[in-house]
Amino acid sequence: MTNRAFTSLIAVLLAASPAFAAADPGRAVSLLQQRCAQCHGDSSGMSGLKVTSRENLLKGGTRGTSLVPGKSSESALYKAVAHIGDVAMPPGGSLKPEEVQLLKDWIDAGAAWSSGAATTSAANTWWAFRKPVRPAVPSATANPIDAFIDQKLRAAGIPAAPEADRLTLIRRASYDLLGLPPSKEQIEQFLADKSPNAWEHVIDSLLASPRYGEKWGRHWLDLARYGDTAGFEQDPYLLLAWRYRDYVIKSFNDDKPYDRFTKEQIAADELYPTDPEARTGTGFYRVGTNRDMLFKVEDVNLVEKRIDMVDTTGAVFLGLTVGCARCHDHKFDPIPQKDYYRMQAIFQPAVSEKVFLDYNPARNYDIAENTRTFKLWQIADDIARVNKKYQDELREKKLAALPAELQAAFRAPEDKRTPAQLQLVSENPNAIKISQGEIDAIMSQADKERMDAIARRLLQTFTGYGPPPMSAGITDVGRDAPKTFIAIRGNPEAYGEEVQPGFLSSLGGGDVPEAPLHAGSTLRRKALAEWIASPDNPLFARVMVNRIWQFHFGSGLARSSSDFGIRGGLPTHPELLDWLATEFAAKNWSVKSMHKLIMMSAAYRRDANPGDIALAKDPANELLSHMNRRRLEAEEIRDASLLVSGELSLKMGGVPVVPPLSKEEMFGMIGNPASAWMVTADPAEHKRRSIYLLSRRTFQQPMAQAFDGPDGVLTCPRRNESTTAPQSLALLNSGFTMDRAKALAAKISDPVAAWERIYGRAPSAEEKAAAERFLTKQQSLLGSREAAMAELVRGLMNTNEFLYVD
Amino acid sequence: MTRRELLARTSNGFGLAALAGILQAAESSNPLAPKAPPLPAKAKSVIFLFMHGGVSHVDSFDPKPQLTRYSGKPLSAELAKTIKTSFIHDPSKAILRGSPWEFRPGGTCGTQVSDLFPHVRTMMDDITVIRSCYSDQFDHAPAIYLRSTGHQLPGRPSLGSWVTYGLGTENQNLPAFVVMSDGSTKSGPPAYGAGFLPAVYQGTVFRSGESPILYLKNPDGVNPDVQRQTLDFINTIDKIQERTRPHDSTLDARIASYELAWRMQSSAPDAVDLTKETEATKKLYGIGEPVTDDFGRKALLARRLVERGVRFVELISGTNVGADWDEAHTDLTGSHPRMAAKSDKPIAGLLKDLKSRGLLESTLVVWGGEFGRTPLSQGDNGRDHHPYGFSIWMAGGGVKGGKVLGSTDEFGVQAAEMRLDAHDVNATILRLLGMDHKKLTYLYQGRDMRLTDVKGEGEFTPLLLS
Repeated sequence: MTNRAFTSLIAVLLAASPAFAAADPGRAVSLLQQRCAQCHGDSSGMSGLKVTSRENLLKGGTRGTSLVPGKSSESALYKAVAHIGDVAMPPGGSLKPEEVQLLKDWIDAGAAWSSGAATTSAANTWWAFRKPVRPAVPSATANPIDAFIDQKLRAAGIPAAPEADRLTLIRRASYDLLGLPPSKEQIEQFLADKSPNAWEHVIDSLLASPRYGEKWGRHWLDLARYGDTAGFEQDPYLLLAWRYRDYVIKSFNDDKPYDRFTKEQIAADELYPTDPEARTGTGFYRVGTNRDMLFKVEDVNLVEKRIDMVDTTGAVFLGLTVGCARCHDHKFDPIPQKDYYRMQAIFQPAVSEKVFLDYNPARNYDIAENTRTFKLWQIADDIARVNKKYQDELREKKLAALPAELQAAFRAPEDKRTPAQLQLVSENPNAIKISQGEIDAIMSQADKERMDAIARRLLQTFTGYGPPPMSAGITDVGRDAPKTFIAIRGNPEAYGEEVQPGFLSSLGGGDVPEAPLHAGSTLRRKALAEWIASPDNPLFARVMVNRIWQFHFGSGLARSSSDFGIRGGLPTHPELLDWLATEFAAKNWSVKSMHKLIMMSAAYRRDANPGDIALAKDPANELLSHMNRRRLEAEEIRDASLLVSGELSLKMGGVPVVPPLSKEEMFGMIGNPASAWMVTADPAEHKRRSIYLLSRRTFQQPMAQAFDGPDGVLTCPRRNESTTAPQSLALLNSGFTMDRAKALAAKISDPVAAWERIYGRAPSAEEKAAAERFLTKQQSLLGSREAAMAELVRGLMNTNEFLYVD
Repeated sequence: MTRRELLARTSNGFGLAALAGILQAAESSNPLAPKAPPLPAKAKSVIFLFMHGGVSHVDSFDPKPQLTRYSGKPLSAELAKTIKTSFIHDPSKAILRGSPWEFRPGGTCGTQVSDLFPHVRTMMDDITVIRSCYSDQFDHAPAIYLRSTGHQLPGRPSLGSWVTYGLGTENQNLPAFVVMSDGSTKSGPPAYGAGFLPAVYQGTVFRSGESPILYLKNPDGVNPDVQRQTLDFINTIDKIQERTRPHDSTLDARIASYELAWRMQSSAPDAVDLTKETEATKKLYGIGEPVTDDFGRKALLARRLVERGVRFVELISGTNVGADWDEAHTDLTGSHPRMAAKSDKPIAGLLKDLKSRGLLESTLVVWGGEFGRTPLSQGDNGRDHHPYGFSIWMAGGGVKGGKVLGSTDEFGVQAAEMRLDAHDVNATILRLLGMDHKKLTYLYQGRDMRLTDVKGEGEFTPLLLS
C-alpha cells in the first residue's frame, strides 16, 4: 500500500465517505458481492446462505432468514455486519461504519435488488460489463469534466481548492507529461504570457516534445512487464527487446490511435503483415520473463508463456483478472474457467518470430552472420593451434615440479583415475592451470605476429558490426493450431474438455471464426484484437481513459486500474468515466487529446493543499476538491537530477545503456559483472534518460529499487509510493547524487542559481539567509566554496520540494 | 566528534520536542511498526540458513543403507520413470551411488547425521529433521523462487517480506529483513524481494565490513560534521517549505525518514561491530579459523541482529561464481566437504549461543535449500539436481528438537511419508510466528494473494511442538 493510500485508509475509517448515497441499491448489492460473496456465493454458500439474490437472502441459511425488508433491526444480515448479537461478519475485518449504514438504509428502504451487480447475472449487470452510454453533462461548463466533478463536490458541500499558481502548474504539467521539470525559459515564458491561451500553449508544447513518449512509454512498459533479459540463473539478454521499447515511445509520440496501438500489439502479424513497425508491436509478447535458456523445461516454459499471454492481455487491455479463472471459475467475476481456456486457445498457435524491419539489409545481415560464424570457428581454431605447444610445454613443466603422487594422478587419463587420484585432482584444482599471460610470456616472436594477425582479422570482422535491423515479435505456427484443453485445476497435465477459441462470455462472448483454407495463420489474434479494440467492448475505452486519469490525478476514477471486476469496486465518478470513455472513442482514440481535455479542466489545475472542509469530509480526496501531491518516480528522480545539473543526454532509442555502478551497488548480481553488467564505453551514454538503461530481470539498479521502480516481472498498473529510511540513505549518500551535486556546484556560485535550477524559482529571503549560513559553515568545514556549494545542492536534491509534485 | 556523540546532542535543526513529534507522526503511518501476531506465537524472529545450490540429502541428514547396498546398480525402471534430471542424460541408465560418508547418531536422541556435519550433529537434541520435502522445479532459480516466494517465477514477495509485512519489526533503526550472502547467488534479489508488496518489505542485503548497508556510508570526503550540517539544512528548508504545504503526513514521514536514516547510520555499524564479542563467543562460531571465519561472522551477526529486534535474517550459503554446493555435479567428494566445513561449526555455534542467551526459544532457525541431489551418480563423482525428496531441519522458536519427521523411499528418490512442499513449510513457519497462512493476504490484481497461494494444507506445526 502506498503511504498515501495508507493514510487514506485511516482517513476513510475515521470519516464517512461522501461518495455513498443513502439507500443506494446498486451500492448495497455490490457491497454484498464484494465483502460477503466469497463465503456466501452461489458455489460456496457457507451456512447455507447465499447473498447472490434477494430470494436467497430471504430464504436465508441454517440460521433462518437473513433479510426482513423494511426492518433492519430484525434482519440477521444487518445484525451480523453491525455486530449486534452473536454473529459478527465478515470475519476478515468489519465493514466500515458507512457501509453498515448503507446496508441498514437499503434494508429499511425495502431491500430492492438493484441491477447494479449480482454474481449470477453480473455479466449483464455489473457496471463495467455494460457498454458505456454517453451520459448527459450535468451543467454547462467550459470543460465537461468540471461539470461532473463540481456536481459531486457541491452535493457534498466541499469547496474546491483555488487554482494553483503558475509555477506549480507548469511544473505539474511538465512532470506529468515529460517526467522532467520545466526549464527556466519555459517557466519565464509561461509566467509572462498574459494571453487567455497561455495554459493551452503550455500543454500543446509539452505534448509536442519527444520527451513525452519517454514518460508515457515508461507507463506502458510497466504494464507490459518490460525487461531486457529473460530472468532466472542465466538471465540471458532479450537482445531485441529494446526495439519494442522504442516502438512504444514512438507510438506515444506519434499519438498513434489507441485502438490501432492495441491491435498492433495483439495481432499486427495478421492485421498489418506488410508493416514491420507495426509487427514490432507484437514484441509485447516477447519482452516478458521466459525460460527459453533453462534446462529441460521446454514444456513448462510453453505453458507459462501461454499463461503470461492470456493474463497480461486481460489485465492490460481489458482491466480484468482473467488469470483467476485458470484453475477454477473466477470467484468474483463472471469468468468461467472455460472462458479462460477459450482465450488461451487464441494464443495456442503463437510462436516467436524475427521481424525484418528493412528486408534486404536484414537478409544481408543473416547472410553475413552465417559467414562470420564460420570465420569465427576458424579463428578460434587458429588461436588454439598457436597456444597448443606453449600449453604443452608449460603443463609439462608444472607437472614435473609436483610431488610424484599428484603427478601420477594428473597424468592418468581422466577415465582411468583411481578414487584416491580423483580426490587429489579435485583438491588441487589450480595445480596445473595455465593462464594466457604465462603463454604470452614465453611466446616466440613469430607466433606473436601470428596472434596479431588473428587479432586484426577479428577487428576486421567486427568493424561496423551492430544489432540487426530486426525486432522480436510473434506470429502463428500456421493455419492449423494445436488443440487446447481445459487444464483441470490449472494443472496442464490434467486434460479436461477440449475448447475452441472464443471471447469472454461476460463481455458478450462469441466464437473466433475459422480461418479461410488458404490462410497462413489462424487469424485468431486478429479476431481477438478487433473484439478488444472496439467501442462496443465495454472495457476497452474505460480502462485506458482511467489509466490516463490515474497518471494525472494519482489514482483512477476506478481505483484499481487493472481490475474492473467486482473486487475492483465502483468508480468514484461513474458518469464521468463513461463520458470520458465515449469521448475517447469520439476523438479517434487520441491519447494526446485526452491529456489536453483533462489538463484543461479546472479540476486538474487546483492547488494540492486541501481546505479544512475537504480534510474533514473527504480526506481521501475521492471527490477531487484538490490535486493529489505525488512523489517523483524512480526514473524522474534520476532524470531530473541529471537535468538540473545540466548533464542529461536527450539522445533517443537504441541498444540499452549500461551505466557504471560501484562494486557495492553490484553486490548480489547473478553472474560475473564482466558479462552481466558490461558498462557502455561512451560516458556520455551514461547520462541518458532512465528508460534507456538496461533492465536486468534479476538485478534492479539499487536506486530504482529503493524508490519502487518496477521489477519488470509482473504487469504493474501503478507503482507503490513508499517512504523509507533506505531511500533517504540512497539519495543522500550515493555516488550518483554526489556526482550531480558536484557537477551543478561547478557551474554556479550563488545559492539563487541553485534554487532556480532545482526548484525553478528564486529563494525567499529566509531561505537565502539559511543557505548563506549553511555555505559559510560548510566552507569552514570543507575548505572551499565549491565543496560547500556541492553540499548545498546535495541538500536541496533531498528536500521535499524537489521530490514531490504539487 | 564521532557520529554517535553527534547523535547524542541536540542538533541545530531538530529541537528534541519537534523531533519526537515528527517521529510520532511517522510512526502512525509506519508500515514496519511492530504488530502483535493474531495467533499465539512461539517464535518472534527467524534465522533462515539457506543452503542454496543443492545439498545432497543422502549424504547429510537422510541415511540410506539400501542405497549403499545397491551402490553401482541401476535404479528400477519404475522409479527411474518418476524423475527428470538436468545433467544425467537418462536416469534409467545411471547407477545408484551410496554415500561416501559415514552416518553416526547425534545427541541423546540419536538422530543420524553424516560426517559432513560433525558439529551440527552434536546439537541434534535441539533439531527436528524433516526428510520428506519435495519440489517440482529442478533448475536452481525457479526452485529457489518456489522455496522463498511460493512460486517458481520471480516477482512474488518472499517469506521474509511476508513475515515483516505481517509482523513489522521491533527495531526501527535497523532493517526488518536482512539478507547475507557471498555476493552472487543463483537467483538474484527476486529470492528476497518484496514482489508486489511495498518496497519497504524487501530484504536488505548486508555486506561484510563496517558499512553493511548500501549507501550507509557518507559520500567520500563528507565527514560526520558535514553530513550533520547538510541533514540539518535539509530539515530547515523542508520546514520552511512545509508552511505552504500543511497537513501532509507523507511529507512529515519523509522528513522523519532522514532522521531515521541518520540513526541507521549509527545503529547499523554498532550492530555489526563484532569486536564487542568475547573471544570465547567468537571461537564458538569458528571466527579466526580460515575455513569458518566468513560464515562464522555472518552467523554471529545474525544473532546480534535478532537480539536487536530484527525480524527475519536470511543467511545464504553458496554462490553462482565460486565455492558452491552445486559443484557436486562433478565433484561430490571434493566440494561437499569444503562447503559443509564452512558452515558446520558456525551453525552449531549459533545454536549454542542462541540457547545460552535464552534466544533460541523465540528464534526459529531453519536450515535447507531449494532441492537435494540425486541418489544416482552423475559421471564418476557427481550428483545431479533432485527436487523429488530432500531434507531440511528446524530448531528453536518452539521446535522441540530431537526428532525426525517424514521419510523418503529406501533409495532416497521420492519423498514418501508426510510429503511436504514449500507451501507446507512456509505455512508452518508463519504459524510458529503466530500467523495463519490463509489470512495473511495482500490484494493484488483482484486477488487476495497469499504466500502459500491455494496450498499449505500440509502445515505441520503441532508435530514440531511436541
